Amino acid sequence: MIKAENLSKQYSLAKHRTFKEFLPALFGGQDTKIKFNALVHLNFEIKKGESLGILGKNGSGKSTLLKIVAGVTKPTDGRITVDGRVAPLIELGAGFHPELTGRENVYLNGSILGIKKKQMDKLYKGIVDFSELHDFMDQPIKFYSSGMYMRLAFAVAVAEKPDILLVDEILAVGDIRFQEKCLTRIKEFQEGGSTLILVTHQPAMIETYCEKVLVLDKGRQVYFGNTVEGVEKYKTILK
Amino acid sequence: MDKVWKLLDNIKLFFSYRELLFNLARREITQRYKQSVLGYAWVILNPLFQLLVLTFVFSTIFRVASFNVPYIIFLIVGLLPWNFFAQSMSSASNALVGNASLITKIYFPREILVYGTIMAKIVDFFYSCLVLVFFFIFYQIPLTPQTIWVLPIFSIQLIFTAALSLLTSSFNLFYRDIQYLLNLIISLWFYLTPILYPIEQFPEKYRWIFIFNPMSVIINAYRQTVLGGGEPNLNSLGIAALMSIVLFVISFLIFKKSEGKFADFV
Repeated sequence: MIKAENLSKQYSLAKHRTFKEFLPALFGGQDTKIKFNALVHLNFEIKKGESLGILGKNGSGKSTLLKIVAGVTKPTDGRITVDGRVAPLIELGAGFHPELTGRENVYLNGSILGIKKKQMDKLYKGIVDFSELHDFMDQPIKFYSSGMYMRLAFAVAVAEKPDILLVDEILAVGDIRFQEKCLTRIKEFQEGGSTLILVTHQPAMIETYCEKVLVLDKGRQVYFGNTVEGVEKYKTILK
Repeated sequence: MDKVWKLLDNIKLFFSYRELLFNLARREITQRYKQSVLGYAWVILNPLFQLLVLTFVFSTIFRVASFNVPYIIFLIVGLLPWNFFAQSMSSASNALVGNASLITKIYFPREILVYGTIMAKIVDFFYSCLVLVFFFIFYQIPLTPQTIWVLPIFSIQLIFTAALSLLTSSFNLFYRDIQYLLNLIISLWFYLTPILYPIEQFPEKYRWIFIFNPMSVIINAYRQTVLGGGEPNLNSLGIAALMSIVLFVISFLIFKKSEGKFADFV
């Protein structure tokens, strides 16, 4: 279950770039920061097993919202309740280290996601099979192509069924066959009761995978509700 | 009181992330010397050459007094723990900034990153002690049962190091000046700690500055127990221990307070 009540996020941007500008402003009692509202008073709720699509133009606050759900950053105002283990696919391979081998990275990334080693030993074969990188697991991943890198990262992230899966645009990479494989896996999770939060610019994907949609514009909540209506709203914003 | 509970709660959480801690430490160690021929041997070669040069300068040119043991033995007992401290501090100050991609993506207790780098440095420290073992055997330095004191002394050093590392890592995330400032401070600190010289050679009227320098108490205690064969000065060691623990609690609370902002600033 995920519930946002009056959720807001404000960033402070430094107004004075240099120290010479900053000091007089500080002592002169001027504001040294510009406030930037990334999210303003969001209210929505999705139940366990329901899936949410987030639509919005660039800079509308989609990624900030995902970060808040992932617990990486805190809201400045309001509340968010997130129940369950969150698996972020925000940017794949965040914990990968180029000098380490595929195998070492799988274990490292697993522990970052909170998967115990014993559990990982069981999942390992599945991860290698899913990524189709059998012959490369003992190579440092700096020799991987970006496609291989992505496949391994995705395979680790979806190795264990999470309660909440965050997906941010990542499916734009990789060839079509692998994309379909990923989507199948996501579908399986959904059928197993996982909640999916999907950020994308393709309304069609949201119509396929989500029951609810949240439309954002400049950090404001334009619409929250069923997908058909939400996608229409999104299209009017684009115009 | 509420904060103290939070601290205890955090220790529990910390325990459940121990695998991540070990994996981060392992990553730190394995990545560092990849694609180098001598690899991990650098951990031993570095202090070895440092020792040889410093010994030449301070025993042959400057003729510093060194208890009743060869200067190189006197030096090594102080230098290795100091290296551990200095290297932990400088790599921990980058522990958060260097893992920006993790901090902005996935939640886990951030102090794990700091502890992970310190842990890697502990492993380095143990390996560098092989140099010490070699020279102790070479000069046939006898060890007394008092040597067991190094365990509590090392624990105090560890708490002190962790406390300062938590502070510098989080400050460095907001102001990158900290890492440059830290390098300067550590190189000056080295000379103001009795590593190259015995504490007794330090002029009496300036010796009060050691009160504010737990590292001087710690280094001196290593020498008193390992080389002197006696007990450490329990008074000053007690003060150093208390200072370290208080500093750790304060640093931890500051770290936890700023943790929520890490992802926004890094």
